[in-house]
Amino acid sequence: MLKPFIFLILLLGCSLLGATETIPIETIFPLQWEHAIFLLIVGLVGGLISGFIGSSGAFILTPAMMIIGVPAIVAVASNICHKFPRALVSALKRIRHGLVDIKLAIVIGISAEIGIFCGVSLQIYIRNNFGSTGSNIYVTIIFLLILAILGLYNLRDAKKIFKTGEADLFKRSALSHKVRSINIPGTMMYFPSLETSISVLFTIPIGFFTGLLAANIAVGSFISVPAMIYVLGAGGLMASATQLLIAFIIGIGGTIQYGSSGLVDIRLAMIILSGSLLGVHLGAIAATYAKDYLTKLVTGILMVLILFSLAVKMVVYIHDAGHLQLVADTVTTLNFVSFNLLNLALAVGTIIILYAMINGTIRYNKAQRLMEEELALSPHINENDAMSITQLSPTGRFEKILLVTDRSEATVGATSEAIRLAQRTDGKLIAMSVIMINPEHASLARQLIEKENEDTLSHLEKVRTEATKAGVTCDISVRHGIEIYQEIINEAEQNHVDVIVMGRRGMTGLMRLMMGSNTAKVIGYSQCSVLVVPRTAKINGNKILLAVDGSRYSDIAASATMNIAKHIDASVLVVSVVYSDLKEKRYTEAIQEIKRVESFLTKEGIKVEGEVLSGRPAEVLIEIADAKGVDLIVMGSHGRTGLDRVMLGSVSDRVIGYANCAVLVVKL
Amino acid sequence: MDATGKGKAVIQTTTLAILSGILYFLLYYFSDYIMNWSQQGGWYFIIPIIIAFILSIVHGTFTNHFWDMLGIKAKSVKK
Repeated sequence: MLKPFIFLILLLGCSLLGATETIPIETIFPLQWEHAIFLLIVGLVGGLISGFIGSSGAFILTPAMMIIGVPAIVAVASNICHKFPRALVSALKRIRHGLVDIKLAIVIGISAEIGIFCGVSLQIYIRNNFGSTGSNIYVTIIFLLILAILGLYNLRDAKKIFKTGEADLFKRSALSHKVRSINIPGTMMYFPSLETSISVLFTIPIGFFTGLLAANIAVGSFISVPAMIYVLGAGGLMASATQLLIAFIIGIGGTIQYGSSGLVDIRLAMIILSGSLLGVHLGAIAATYAKDYLTKLVTGILMVLILFSLAVKMVVYIHDAGHLQLVADTVTTLNFVSFNLLNLALAVGTIIILYAMINGTIRYNKAQRLMEEELALSPHINENDAMSITQLSPTGRFEKILLVTDRSEATVGATSEAIRLAQRTDGKLIAMSVIMINPEHASLARQLIEKENEDTLSHLEKVRTEATKAGVTCDISVRHGIEIYQEIINEAEQNHVDVIVMGRRGMTGLMRLMMGSNTAKVIGYSQCSVLVVPRTAKINGNKILLAVDGSRYSDIAASATMNIAKHIDASVLVVSVVYSDLKEKRYTEAIQEIKRVESFLTKEGIKVEGEVLSGRPAEVLIEIADAKGVDLIVMGSHGRTGLDRVMLGSVSDRVIGYANCAVLVVKL
Repeated sequence: MDATGKGKAVIQTTTLAILSGILYFLLYYFSDYIMNWSQQGGWYFIIPIIIAFILSIVHGTFTNHFWDMLGIKAKSVKK
C-alpha cells in the first residue's frame, strides 16, 4: 500500500527538478475590495454551476479572473492551485472504498506531469516573448476552442436526452475493445480496474494531453475521464474516482511548476475557493432534484455565453497587442459587454439551478408526504404496531431491520443474514445504500453519479426480490451524503429500526486506524444494536457466545441474546475474560457474573454453559468462538467515540475486525 | 438527527466557520508578505501549497457540514 505513495513522492520530486526558472516579478495584481467581492460571487456561482452540471468550474473561473484584468497565466496558475488538496481528501475516501485504481492513476499521472511541464514551459515562453497580452491571447484561443466544442456537444446532448429520455451512460466502446486486444511486447501493464493488461503506449498520450490541457486552462478532466472510459474501457465510477488522484498529481505538479516561477496568486485562489466550496456542494445537492437534460442544457448555454464573452474580450486583447486600432470608447464598451455577458451567464445558470432545486424539493416533499400517509393507512403497519406493543424491550426486539448493502462482496453475508433474521423474527426489512457525494466527485461527471444511482437501485431491487421470495416485506432506500455512517444513523433513527445489519471490509491495522471504519462509527453513534456479518458467515443457530464483563452493558447484551436464542433455537455460551493485575479478585467476580446470567437465561428455557477465561479479551473471544463453532458473538457496547475510542481502544472493534462469525453489538 | 446530534453539528460547524474565518483574516492581514515571498518563485512555491492545503481542508470541511446543518440535503430514493 505504501509503495504507490513513495512513488508519488518521487514523481513530485521529479516535477520540482523539472520546474522552470524564476521570472522576475512585474507586478502583483492590485486586488481591490470590489475585485474580492466579485471573485467571491464568481466562486460561489461557479461552484454552484460546477456541482450541478458535473464538470470542473475552471471554464467559468479562469475567464472570470481574466475579464477583471488578472493576467491569463496567473489566472490559470491560481486556479490549478486551489483544488488539489480537496482532490486528495476525496481520493483517499474513494481509496477506502476500493474505487481508485492507484496504479492507473500513477501511470497516467507520470505522463501528465510531462504534459504539465511542457504546457507550463510553453505558457512561460509565450509570456516571456510576447508579453502578458500574447499570453492572454494564447489562453483565450484555447478556451474559445474548448468552449465551442464542449458547448455545442452539450447542447446537442441536451436535445437528444430531452427527445429520447435516455442519457449516454458511458458504455464500453468498440475502440476500447480494440485497445484491449492489442499486445505490444515490453509495454504491457496490468491494471486492476481494467482487469486486463494494456500497453502503456495508450496511457501515455492520455496523461500527456490531460497534463497539457491542465497547464493551459487549469483543468484536464475533460480529456482523462472520457479517455479512461472510451479508450481504456474503465468503468465510469472507477474512472471518475481514479481521476481524483490524477487531479491531485496534476494539481500539485502544476502548482510546483507555476509556483516556482512565482506565478501563483494565492489570494485570488483562496477567494475563489471560499465561494466555490460553498457553491459546489449546493450544486451537487440541486443536481439530485433536476432532470438529466437540464444539466446538459445549463452546461451548453453557459459555455456558449462565456464563449461570446471571451470572444468580445479577445478583440480587446488584439487591440492591446497593437494589431487592431480602436478608440477608447469602443474598448470600454467591449469590456462592458464582455463583463456583462459573463454576468448574464452566471445569472442564467444560478436562476435555472435554484429553480430546479426549489421546484424539485417541493415536488419531492409532496411525494414523500403522500407516501407516508399511504403507509399510515396500510393495515400491515397496524399489525406491526400491535406486535411492538406486546414486546416492550427495545434491545430484544428485531422487528425493524436495517440492512446496509452495496454492490461489493463485503455485504453478501450481511444481505443473506438480514433476510434470514427478518424471516425468523417476522420482521420488516429496509435495505439501504449510501452514495457518497463530495464536491470534487460531483464536479467531475454528474452522469457517473446518475449511473451509480441506477446501479444501486437495481442492486436494492435484487435484494428486495430475494427478501420477497423468503416472505419478508422489504423497503428500499438510497441516500446521498458526505459521511456514510451519518446517513446510516439518520435512516435508522427516521425508521426507528431495532438493529442495523452491516458487512465487514477487510481493513486492519494502520489502514483501519488512518481511514477509520464506518462500522465502528455506526456502532459508536447509533442508538440501536448493530449486527456485523463477515462475507462468508452464517447464523445457523449452532451456538451464541455472550461476552459479559459485569457492566450494565452486559445485562443489555444478555437480554438481547435471550431473544435471539429463542428465535433461532440456539444454545448460549457465556464467557467472561479476566485481564488485569487483580486476576484472583476479578476471577471470583466473573464467576458470579456468569452464574447470574446463566440463571436468567435458564429461566427462559435456554441451554447455557459458562466459562471464565484469561488473556486479552478480543483475542480470547475470537479463539473460543472458533474452537466451539460459535456462529454469533453478542456483546454490549460501551459506546465510546472519537478520541476516547482511539486512546482506549474498543474490544468490540477488534472482535468485529477479526472474528470469523457474525458479531452483534447491543446498545443501551 | 436527534437534538443532541443537531447541537453537536451546530457546534462543530460553527467552530469550523470561526477557524476558517481566522485563517482567511490571517491571509488578508499578511497578504503583502505572503505575496512578496510566493512571487519570488523557486522553493517559495511551498507557501501557496501550504496555504492551499490548510484552507482547503478547514474551509472544505466547514462547507461540507454547512448545508447539512441547514437541512439542505440531496434527494433520497425510497420505494
